[in-house]
Amino acid sequence: MAWAKQGQEAAFRELVRRYERPVFSLLYRMVRDRALAEDLAQETFIKVLNAIGSYNPQFKFSSWIFKIANNAAIDHLRKRELDTLSLDGSPHATTPDEMSATAPQPGDRGETPLQELEARELGGAIEHAIARLRPEYRMCILLRHVEGHSYEEIARILDLPLGTVKTYIHRARNELRGYLEDRRE
Amino acid sequence: MSDPLMPHLTPDEVELWAQGLLPATRDAHVAQLTRFAPEFGFVERVMAKVKIPARSGPHFRPHTDA
Repeated sequence: MAWAKQGQEAAFRELVRRYERPVFSLLYRMVRDRALAEDLAQETFIKVLNAIGSYNPQFKFSSWIFKIANNAAIDHLRKRELDTLSLDGSPHATTPDEMSATAPQPGDRGETPLQELEARELGGAIEHAIARLRPEYRMCILLRHVEGHSYEEIARILDLPLGTVKTYIHRARNELRGYLEDRRE
Repeated sequence: MSDPLMPHLTPDEVELWAQGLLPATRDAHVAQLTRFAPEFGFVERVMAKVKIPARSGPHFRPHTDA
């Protein structure tokens, strides 16, 4: 990372190119909105590059950037209450009918080309199941199974005890199994 | 119709994955869930908002853990 710390524009560009897909993908799966995910990814890279001097090379650079991306996603979800929207509808829905009426319908909502694209990209069985997980479980599963981070790295990224990460992933897998079984019935 | 994101896993394997029981070789396949790309020009949009410090040294060699 010494080359990037020197603040070279070409080095910054290379960092963004190298991590734009992993960071954007993570955020897209967290918020399920392309434009919003891009805004959050941009915010992540700007924070990373403007603070490159504070990067501690004892840790993986990817852990640092995912930590900042995670914070951006969680902050947003908390502000907008999207954490409970997922595919279960509005957080204010109190009956199954209300939940169903307010839930996003990825396969049907294609009013615009962008929404159609999002529905296509995130429309698979696994994507649906992941989207139904609560944000902290979803982030753990994405970091483990999409980005391939170890449990220890995930604990560092999310500032969680190792045992909590293991519990989250265990519970997330159980929930995923249930969601996938629902889809098969 | 097959799931385009999971082209080679059977429904039973997907369920095994969710249970953490899929053999490692197949589990690696799950890790290949599509990586999405932001809109064209993302790098430029980021760079437009980043302060570029003055160059402080002659050495310039890429190295990351990616």
